[in-house]
Amino acid sequence: MSSASNHTILHLQGISFSYGEPAPFIRNISFSVREGEFIGLLGANGSGKSTILKLASGILKPASGELTLWGKPIHTYKNKDRAKLICYLPQTLDITVPFTVRELVSMGLYPYDIPPSMTAEEALEMVGLGEKADAHLSDLSGGERRRTFIAMTLVQGAGLLLLDEPLANLDIRYQIELIRLLRRLREERNISVVMALHDINIALQFEKVMLIKNGSILGEGDSEAVLTDAMLKESFDVDIEVRRSADGRAHITYENNF
Amino acid sequence: MRIRMFLIIALFFLVLVLTLFLGPTVISPFAVDATSREILFSIRAPRVVVAALMGMALGASGAVLQGILRNPLADPYILGISSGASLSAALGILGGLTFMGEFTIPVLAFIGAIVTGSIVGIMGWKRGGLWPERLLLAGVGLSFLFSSLLMLIMSISSDEGIRKAILWIFGDLSMSEWSRVPYGLAFVLAGIILSGTKAKALNALILGDEFAHSLGFTPHRERFILFVAVGLLTAASVSLGGMIGFIGLLVPHIIRFFMGSDGRVLIPASALVGGVLLCVADVISRSVLPPMELPAGIITALIGSPYFLYLLRRKNVLGV
Repeated sequence: MSSASNHTILHLQGISFSYGEPAPFIRNISFSVREGEFIGLLGANGSGKSTILKLASGILKPASGELTLWGKPIHTYKNKDRAKLICYLPQTLDITVPFTVRELVSMGLYPYDIPPSMTAEEALEMVGLGEKADAHLSDLSGGERRRTFIAMTLVQGAGLLLLDEPLANLDIRYQIELIRLLRRLREERNISVVMALHDINIALQFEKVMLIKNGSILGEGDSEAVLTDAMLKESFDVDIEVRRSADGRAHITYENNF
Repeated sequence: MRIRMFLIIALFFLVLVLTLFLGPTVISPFAVDATSREILFSIRAPRVVVAALMGMALGASGAVLQGILRNPLADPYILGISSGASLSAALGILGGLTFMGEFTIPVLAFIGAIVTGSIVGIMGWKRGGLWPERLLLAGVGLSFLFSSLLMLIMSISSDEGIRKAILWIFGDLSMSEWSRVPYGLAFVLAGIILSGTKAKALNALILGDEFAHSLGFTPHRERFILFVAVGLLTAASVSLGGMIGFIGLLVPHIIRFFMGSDGRVLIPASALVGGVLLCVADVISRSVLPPMELPAGIITALIGSPYFLYLLRRKNVLGV
């Protein structure tokens, strides 16, 4: 499933960051995201996946290093112009106010003075929630809620989605549904996605993964090459075995002496 | 939505006119003599306008505060701004201060509100911005401190001063005069317009700072501007007529229930309905036991609390 072009959307070069401690939390990381690319960020809890996504989106300012968006330093963009290109979805989507689905999705229009072509209704149709426009967010299932936020990013029109654990707390069915939706959107709209993951089996299905440990990139590239037994052991400190079935599909098994 | 907004605007002006003619004595608009003209224009009209302005300030600031603090239970008094204002006004009343004539107490209240708001702002400030949790905790802490100081000075003061101070604290519109309208109007309109221009940012901030950033806003800057707007609105309302409970908490929830949660509708609609509620509460407060007047704050709480509890039972009112 490779449909990445050679256009680099986002490039991080030598980025370091700390939350105030003397030792950096993120150490000298560099990577690029190309148009149409899907990248899975994998790593143990606290390894720095979320921080890397927040750095990539410009929410956190790096202590050193350079971040360029379409070849220009990200801080040279006006906030609203940046928002038209890059969109970050945090892991927790707890909202204290009873917004309706339509109200929320329409917020994707905020960076624009003149509304772009896609309306909230069209975006909701695309994610299969056309019927739910007037429902309250609290009435939706976890999967529907995720899709609502994806619809918001569609209205926002950003080509690069940075998703922090979008599959967390979703049943397997909704996980598959969401990944299919994102793949379809890549076919139709050439979006790029970087998502933090915690399920190694899902990461194995990505064409490109980055394995994170202690704020550094342990390995990057084709999932088959990166997600080896040795690398996973190093990353998660657990004996993990990657097995391949006859049709080439990979999955993991691990020591189950709980 | 447009029709509902139009209905609210119509209701606002209808209530303004109606409450002018209602009261301990009902004045017929078709039989206005010299005495009733005097009552209408010198006593009731300024009072209705002040009540409307206060209610507008409370409704709008409640809507904004519930958003920037990300807390559906926030109201304009949670930040301690009103406690600071009450303390400074009570000191003025009990100390018999009159350095600015009739404006002394409102001015003292306003200064108390602005000083307290600034302290809360300073305590809520860290790493280049205002943080909702810090604001909330600083406000609650200061509120307790000032309330206890207020109780302390009231417990050691003379009887007459205490009655006046208590009336003021519970919301007293009986001192309303035309002279208070211009500055009240200026601050209330400034606060509502300022927050109205930041309504989209408010919506985004409710989703969280990371969303707000992703949607192209600078969260700390937007929150600071909205905080200033709330400070102006609260200071103006407390200085106009003391503390009136429940409007700031209740009205935004009513509006969300009937008109949705978008700040662009919520802020103006909460302002208008806040004005309507306080005008109605004020008519009741001066009509039920004439010639005695009940503090309007007690009426709003008596009407507001049961309705609030009823709303709680309905789904999707508090985001749960």
